[in-house]
Amino acid sequence: MRWYHSLSLRLLLLFWVLLFAVASSGYLLALWFSKPIAAEPVPATVQASLAPLLSEVTTFRSLTPGRLLAGDYRVAASLAPSGKERLQLDRSLALNHRDIMMRQLEAEQAQQYPLGNLMLMGPFELENYRILITRPITSSERQEQVVTEQQTQRVQTLVLLIGSLAIAILLGAWLVMPLRRLTRATREIAEGSEKLSLRRLPKRNDELGELARALATTAHDLAVSRDAQRRLLSDVSHELRSPLARMQVALMLTEGNDSQEQQESHMAQLGRDLERLSTIIERILSLSRLENGLVQLQREKVDTRALVEQLIKDLRYVDAEQGQRVKLQEPNEWPTTGSDAELLRLVLENLVRNALQYTDESIELSCQANASTFTIVIRDHGPGVPEEHLSQLFTPFYRADPSRNHKAGVGLGMALSLRAGAVLGGTVSARNHPDGGLEVSVQMPLVAL
Amino acid sequence: MSKLLLVDDDAELSSMLEQILTKEGFELTLAADGETGLERALSGSYDLILLDVMLPGIDGFQLLQRLRQQARNTPVLMLTARGDDDDRVAGLELGADDYLPKPFYPKELVARVKALLRRTPATSVRQEAAEFAGFTVDPKNNKATCDDVELDLTPTEFDILRTLVGGTGEVISKDQLSVAALGRSLAPFDRSLDVHVSNIRKKLPTSPERIQTVRGRGYRILQLA
Repeated sequence: MRWYHSLSLRLLLLFWVLLFAVASSGYLLALWFSKPIAAEPVPATVQASLAPLLSEVTTFRSLTPGRLLAGDYRVAASLAPSGKERLQLDRSLALNHRDIMMRQLEAEQAQQYPLGNLMLMGPFELENYRILITRPITSSERQEQVVTEQQTQRVQTLVLLIGSLAIAILLGAWLVMPLRRLTRATREIAEGSEKLSLRRLPKRNDELGELARALATTAHDLAVSRDAQRRLLSDVSHELRSPLARMQVALMLTEGNDSQEQQESHMAQLGRDLERLSTIIERILSLSRLENGLVQLQREKVDTRALVEQLIKDLRYVDAEQGQRVKLQEPNEWPTTGSDAELLRLVLENLVRNALQYTDESIELSCQANASTFTIVIRDHGPGVPEEHLSQLFTPFYRADPSRNHKAGVGLGMALSLRAGAVLGGTVSARNHPDGGLEVSVQMPLVAL
Repeated sequence: MSKLLLVDDDAELSSMLEQILTKEGFELTLAADGETGLERALSGSYDLILLDVMLPGIDGFQLLQRLRQQARNTPVLMLTARGDDDDRVAGLELGADDYLPKPFYPKELVARVKALLRRTPATSVRQEAAEFAGFTVDPKNNKATCDDVELDLTPTEFDILRTLVGGTGEVISKDQLSVAALGRSLAPFDRSLDVHVSNIRKKLPTSPERIQTVRGRGYRILQLA
């Protein structure tokens, strides 16, 4: 995800842009709707009352800013055609409204213009002398101003309301709707659906798109693991029932009045199936412990060569013929590494036993080490495994030979090796050797202790 | 002496079952995989086939399906080590007559085999033909019709329909039907009879609801208006 795809950034920008848009549109609309403040002609009554005061030239010339004319009328500015003090402005007014005053002095006709609480009037002209006069705003004029302001505020409020509604709808469509869809998809996962109805959500390239993709993957993974579990349960039940079925039948046969020899054969059958049953249970439990991380690693210094030699010795002890078939290939680089001896032996023993069960020829063990890893290879000279079944080799209860050949194990050895190898931080993989036979590689990290 | 075919890849179990069934006076033929099983089932004339589900090659379900496609109505007793209830019933839907989950008591197996053999045509002949509400069931000629359309029924389905039609609209309890068709009482949670009845309904030309389920009691045939 690129930084500019970030949802936080987009949200921030979106909020910013939208708020800015709403605020400015409110302002602009208010300006548009409000009456523009414009100069108006001076009312006739005012002109009439002022006329006598401004008819005398000498008096007119002596009018300077600040001078009280009559009543509340005060001179604000004066402009003489020439002289040292040609332009005079009322200081306090000029501070903020100089431009307006200058413009009004130049105007063609007498106008009035509101400046806060005052009304600026003028220019009044006599023989090229011009003056501006202020008077307090009358109550009716003030009333008018208040009404205009109220209207402006109302327009602003309205625009803000509509604008924020638009934002809400936009956010809803953009943010809340996908969230709802994700919620629905989560429920679908809980109900066990594999395909989620996310529509175009996974194509979004922000956080929500990422969440949708993660959710879709989760749904798929869950479905796969659920299927695997269901299959495992079905397989386990099948594997447990088969020896049980034989035991029940054998038990009934022992009740009959067969010869001593037959009786012994029935008992032997019972014994075999009991042993098989306990092996299956033991292995299922081991597998489950490994898969659920219940196995505590006991790292110690392990001499891999000594471990393998001991393993071969033990195999010979149990079955001399089988043990003879296992050979160490020379020269070899069997390293000493920090590992769990018991688990490593479990990995190798299951693989070697598996090879012994499926082939009648020799099995070679070799090892290669580099700076960080070592790889133990177990190679047999049997028929190998069809390429399309190689990946299933480590699936619990998968057997390369589909008929229930009971010389073969219970179908858990490879799965156990794979899991135990993973717990040790390594990998177990299988491939058909180009010269025939199956080659199983156990790659382990080389740990210094 | 009845001839049985046992299709199971578990050689040890097969050989022990052979001892038991031979002692009971049956003549047993063994087949260890699906292909051989199907071949023997189609070529020989067996009174009953004992069929395991998990087989190398074609599995028990496929074998059964092909057998029924060839219009062989030999009674089939499925043996299954699968735990799923659905798996067990799946065989019945494909036309098996009964099933027995592994592990089973060998005595139970012998009892089931005998029950299924007891109601083969030899006994059916003695039953009288029945006719009701558009159905006719004629055990003598092994022929059943519904609205003059001939129905292709397995022996078990035939016996169930015969019993229902013979009831002329009265409710027949599931246990009664099970005894008549499977030769045994119904076990708890046993859905086999329901599956057989549902199979018959599927084979009716029109209005399958005319075989009515009376909840908790059994089934009856409805006279259509």
